[in-house]
Amino acid sequence: MTFQNFLNAFLFVLAAFAFQTSITGINRKVMARLQKRRGPRWYQQFLDIFKALSKSSISHGWVYDFGVIMALGGIMATVIFIPVADFRAFPNTDNIFIISYVLAVGMLGMAMSASGSGNPWASIGVGRALTNMLAYEVPFMVVVVTMIFGFKTASVGEIAGIQQGLGIFGWNLFRMPLGAIVGFISLQGMLGKKPFDSFIAPAEIASGPMVEYGGKHLGMLFILHDLSTFIEVSLIVNLFLGGGATFLEFGIKYFVVYTLANLVSGISPRFKIDQAVVFYYKFPLLASIVQGFIVIFTGWGVTKWL
Amino acid sequence: MNLLSILAVLIVGGLAAYLLSKANKLLGAITTILTTVLSFVMLFGIKDQIGSTETFLYFNFQLTEIGWYFAFVLSLTYGMSAFYNVCYKDKFMYPNSYAMLYILSLGGSLGLFFAKDFITFFVFWELVVWTSAFIIPLGKSRRASFIYYVVSSIGSMATLFAIMWIYKLTGTMMIKEALMSVDLNFWPSVILFMTFILSGLTKIGIFPFHVWLPLAHGSAPHTFSPILSGGLVKLGAYVAYLSVAVFPSYEIFGEGWMYRGIPLPIYFLMVLGAISIIIGTVMAIKQDDAKKLLAFSSVANGGYILIGILMMDEITFAGGLLHLFAHAVASATAFLTITAVAYRTGTTKISELGGMIHRMPITYTVYLISIISMAGIPPMAGFVSKWLILQGLASKGLIIIAFAAFFGSIGSFMYVFRPLAAVFLGQLAPKHENLKEAPIMMLIPMILMTIITLTVGVVPKLVLNFIVDVQAEAGIKVVSMTGGALDVFNGYLDATRVFVIFGFGFLIALVLFLLMPKTRSVSLMDTYTSAEFIYTPELLHYAHDFYAPFERLYKNHPSTLKLYERASLKLKEIGLFVDYAFMNQRPATSIMWILIIVTIVTIGGAF
Repeated sequence: MTFQNFLNAFLFVLAAFAFQTSITGINRKVMARLQKRRGPRWYQQFLDIFKALSKSSISHGWVYDFGVIMALGGIMATVIFIPVADFRAFPNTDNIFIISYVLAVGMLGMAMSASGSGNPWASIGVGRALTNMLAYEVPFMVVVVTMIFGFKTASVGEIAGIQQGLGIFGWNLFRMPLGAIVGFISLQGMLGKKPFDSFIAPAEIASGPMVEYGGKHLGMLFILHDLSTFIEVSLIVNLFLGGGATFLEFGIKYFVVYTLANLVSGISPRFKIDQAVVFYYKFPLLASIVQGFIVIFTGWGVTKWL
Repeated sequence: MNLLSILAVLIVGGLAAYLLSKANKLLGAITTILTTVLSFVMLFGIKDQIGSTETFLYFNFQLTEIGWYFAFVLSLTYGMSAFYNVCYKDKFMYPNSYAMLYILSLGGSLGLFFAKDFITFFVFWELVVWTSAFIIPLGKSRRASFIYYVVSSIGSMATLFAIMWIYKLTGTMMIKEALMSVDLNFWPSVILFMTFILSGLTKIGIFPFHVWLPLAHGSAPHTFSPILSGGLVKLGAYVAYLSVAVFPSYEIFGEGWMYRGIPLPIYFLMVLGAISIIIGTVMAIKQDDAKKLLAFSSVANGGYILIGILMMDEITFAGGLLHLFAHAVASATAFLTITAVAYRTGTTKISELGGMIHRMPITYTVYLISIISMAGIPPMAGFVSKWLILQGLASKGLIIIAFAAFFGSIGSFMYVFRPLAAVFLGQLAPKHENLKEAPIMMLIPMILMTIITLTVGVVPKLVLNFIVDVQAEAGIKVVSMTGGALDVFNGYLDATRVFVIFGFGFLIALVLFLLMPKTRSVSLMDTYTSAEFIYTPELLHYAHDFYAPFERLYKNHPSTLKLYERASLKLKEIGLFVDYAFMNQRPATSIMWILIIVTIVTIGGAF
């Protein structure tokens, strides 16, 4: 762990933030066109964040502040673990379980801060968010276990590397089609996009985790949201679309995946939280287990492929 | 110093504590601390005597790596929880008996870990069962103790039967020699294996024997719940270890069907472990009593430990044993914090509490760190153990077990968060306005345990070194580490590096927070309420039905305890019928039945 590592890590977090926030801005325009509006300028998201950061805000006690710092700190650490193309800020830290559990530090910090505000609506929102997490995370992780078994490595970067070389047919999207479908359905839940957005939906903002936030707390949570989006979409790109040989290739895949998720969100209705759980535990869970059995017992997609 | 001196300290200390408590309650409580902590310290003195044997009267002892490791975990939780006895000495019904039984139950546990022959093993096993069965009714309920004793007895008797069978087969009572020389066919050896491991399953709370755990943990004295969860249930793991590592079950069952390299009888137990994880998780989510919630989480974590130990491989086995340590420490700590809250408020009901962070900030921080470890989030000890278990399951391709492991892991975020949100965060009720932080004797063990959890989470090598010794003793491949980092064939984890990077991220966030404009402090009641005017803090506290939408999905679930109760009712009815048919006042009927039975037996004998 040299100074260079830390500098790289810091710059990488900045770049990830700038990249995702720009894409969020572009997607606000895409969404507007879908709804026959003109939409804001692409850099509006930056303006929103910097405006929120510059405003003074209220605090409901130390855990309210500490939770936000812990959340953003945890998410930034997770971004540092994400491998993009050949770039690793620190060697040997891109283990999938490390990424998904350090991500949980961020979630826990945010949940703690929201409940610490003393607003019951915030606690209700957190309860929904955690229930949602139980729904989408389990089928996704079953697919991940299948991959680790198949490729004999839990490193996200190595799994991405294995898929490169056979053109698009090397991607897990084609090697493990059922698993990829589960991955994309889970992504929708991870991102909090429709139909799984009931914990953070704009219509429910007064009864979501964000109800008390304003000023710099809200600004930091905006950054947190953009960074966690970066983590989740990057995971999908690395695990199912072969990552990228170059930053450009990675960026293009990333943009396509994120925009697709947004478009699906734009035309979907919304599940209630218990409906979301039932949904995920029907088809996606079944599909992930079937995919697991296919890979484990036949090797189809891993040992038997092209 | 040898292992007999540790046992002597505990047995003599237990009797001394009884007499001293008669004279002065404080002296008795301090004796519990001194003896248990002393036994923990002495364990490190005998670590270099592994393999030595001792004999005392009819009891034979041998120090093994696995026995030492279990003794280390148990005496740690006993020693730390003992500090609470000082604060609780005036609240016990029988403080002298409590002090004695407390120390003797540790003595019993250590005795059975050091046992060389089955008789010693069983005597000390019963010592633990009896002492704890007498401590539990000192709390809220006698029924809990009754159910605990019944379930324990089922396990003990099954194991005793297995021991007698093994003795008949091998002619020796020495645990290692006897278990290793059992020579049976497939099916008899399966029956032997299942009966032997049954006491372990009942102790660790594996489905369908988990019913006693929530009852006993929930209604035991507050100071003993940490011991039950962090210590006593781990005895079951020791029996599980004997059944798979000492008893050559993988070789014997290897002739039968295998599933992904695991013999079916062992896989069957792993599935039971997986069911325990799921049941423990969904039941913990809906509990309103914080102690019962943590008890169900112990059921779930018992499943992880059992699965890990049964795998007997390089990765998962190490994960199971490390989880034994991590969960013992984290769960005991969580129980200790709830006990501290109960000490100040008099209740463990989540819905009656709230906002404790404003009066007990240190207790809150300790609880936070313990649940981070329980949920398996870095940088705590629980993460390293869960990481090992998940990597191991993935390496074997055990999808169904892995599904349960993930369900329990993500579900644990839900249930550990509930006390955090509803007991410690949220609105402070006016009746709790004048509370103080927990007394110093409670803070000492809480802080020490927190430091242990964090240290092992950052430098897991400290405990993994012991586990490597155990793996070497069991004759399996040891988990590979390079310079403190776990380096298994399908994954790499440098916990220290993860911790440093997390700290780096936290630092950036902190700097960002401090650079931005200052905040203005407002009261907790000053929140957005959709233009309602609410002045009662209780009304603004969300603690009831926290996960209502999720709980709705399984509100009509069947209950194992009710099933047992119905079965016992049916058994009583059969008994009444037998009583009516055979034991009535009319001699003619009795003679008729006796004649019929004698005839059947005689005819049966002729064939």
